[in-house]
Amino acid sequence: MLYRSRLVLALLATCALLVSPASHADTDAVSVTDDTDRQVRLEAPATRIVSLAPHITEVLFAVGAGDKLVGVTQHSDFPPEAERIPRIGGYSRIDLERVVQLDPDLVVAWRSGNSASQIERMRELGLNVYVSEPRSFEGVASSMRRMARLAGTEDQGQVAVQAFLDEIETLRLDYEDRAPVRLFYQVWEQPLMTVNDEHLISEAIRLCGGVNVFGHLDRLVPRMDREAVIEADPEVIIGGGMGEDRPDWVLAWEQWEDMTAVQRDNLYFIPPSLLQRHTPRIAEGTRLMCEELERARSRRTD
Amino acid sequence: MTRSFLLATAVLLPASLLAILIALAFGSVAIAPADLLAVVAGDGSRLHDTLVLELRLPRALAAFAAGGLLGLAGALMQVLLRNPLADPYVLGLSGGASVGALLAMLAGLSMFSVSLAAFAGALLSTVIVFGLAHGTGSWTPTRLLLTGVVVAAGWGAMISFLLAVSPTAELPGMLYWLMGDVSHARNPYPAWIVLVLVVLLALPLGRTLNVLARGPMQAAALGVAVRPVEWSIYIAAALITATAVMQVGAVGFVGLIVPHMLRLIFGNDQRVILPASALGGGILLTLADTLARTMIAPEQLPVGVITAMLGVPVFLFLLYRSR
Repeated sequence: MLYRSRLVLALLATCALLVSPASHADTDAVSVTDDTDRQVRLEAPATRIVSLAPHITEVLFAVGAGDKLVGVTQHSDFPPEAERIPRIGGYSRIDLERVVQLDPDLVVAWRSGNSASQIERMRELGLNVYVSEPRSFEGVASSMRRMARLAGTEDQGQVAVQAFLDEIETLRLDYEDRAPVRLFYQVWEQPLMTVNDEHLISEAIRLCGGVNVFGHLDRLVPRMDREAVIEADPEVIIGGGMGEDRPDWVLAWEQWEDMTAVQRDNLYFIPPSLLQRHTPRIAEGTRLMCEELERARSRRTD
Repeated sequence: MTRSFLLATAVLLPASLLAILIALAFGSVAIAPADLLAVVAGDGSRLHDTLVLELRLPRALAAFAAGGLLGLAGALMQVLLRNPLADPYVLGLSGGASVGALLAMLAGLSMFSVSLAAFAGALLSTVIVFGLAHGTGSWTPTRLLLTGVVVAAGWGAMISFLLAVSPTAELPGMLYWLMGDVSHARNPYPAWIVLVLVVLLALPLGRTLNVLARGPMQAAALGVAVRPVEWSIYIAAALITATAVMQVGAVGFVGLIVPHMLRLIFGNDQRVILPASALGGGILLTLADTLARTMIAPEQLPVGVITAMLGVPVFLFLLYRSR
């Protein structure tokens, strides 16, 4: 019985193989809508992809399309395999000659980082450009799905998306309803910069039961006055910066001894690569943030 | 005049062609001379055709036209103000253009509108500088130059303000524009048309300009209608600066060093210096842009950085020698 059903399966598979060449063009073509509402259609899943931003490189690796990357921008440093892919310039100024030379069948661009005129130029040169601009956890998941579809790695992509969404959901269930913690997220020291509630980082803050003390400001990345931070008196200060090590300015807050965050020793650092890049690794950064807010709650005296 | 005119033509025309050829031959992707010849002959590979004809050629032409316009604008202003320091950058025209462009970028307009805003900014700056310098009395070159310098400083402050309040994501594009960048120049032909037209119009005026360069009193005594001539020079200089800035952003020093160097070689005859400055500026910017594309490729430098790095020592050297 078992043997017979296997035989049937094998026959079916053979038929499918025989039939498929006829409908090759239709079944292979992939088409998605990018974040600028533009339809991107490829005759066949991409095999030579150029990524125009470090976080896009990371997302492509996450959905199993890393081996199809033929060119990436400077600072594409994660995963480590990305370091070996040829460079095509910094994200704000792409070396178009190199891109053309690589003869990619898909270019994935970053709307708020790449120059609009260069994206336009690449389209004029006949390249397929997908423009990405994720703004939320859901946006990260949907970017992953669409890039996986274009690269023909949907199965692997689906696994990665599910793992990402599961982790976010777990954190949400664990922390979202915990007692609110007022926090100040410091992007940079000079100038002193934070983020407002529109920013992806604030979605992580809310999910951990935190309240961004400057979330109401108008600009996405407001430049702040130190007095305003001291007056807001956050319970927690979390620093970002540039590299993987805690910048000195996080501990520099200790000179303001009257601040609640200083008195309770709630000065933390989360590597910006885990929180500021729009990649599935943001789940990891969010977990770190949730744990630190939980630690802050445990230090409450009343 | 005919001898130095012929000499300038014999030197600068081939040099211009050579500069464009160099711009076509070099880039971050190496193309062998044989392959380059194949492209010129019309049977290059698809990749080489795209690289040379669609990426390098429009860019080299845009750089040449913009450089030519800036050189010409510098030469005209130096005659007008009888001051070797005059240059679109010093007189605040580029600053006005920059503020216009940054405002357009901040409003999220298209690259075409950014260019138009830059054009409008340069013209506005012209009106301000000339209006204020004119005032109630007559305009003296010193007064005009001082007004220009102060207005330029004012634009500088506006630029800093706009940079400070702009979203972080916009900053890289804005900074590149401020430093001058040929990579977003799209269609070089309007700039070429303006360049050729102004050179053709200025040539017959050369004799008048020579007289004017000696001072308005002498010029008037020799029958030159000083005021109308001065106005038309300034308007022409403003228009061509605005056209150049619209193409390549705020590139400095081309208008300053090119006419100076050429005067050292060919003498101060405007009939020679004006067309020579156009060619010389074109050569300088084309070569500078080739350097900007290739020096640290695949990273791309803004061309204004190169012209400034070349321009400052050259100008200081010229000044030092002239004492």
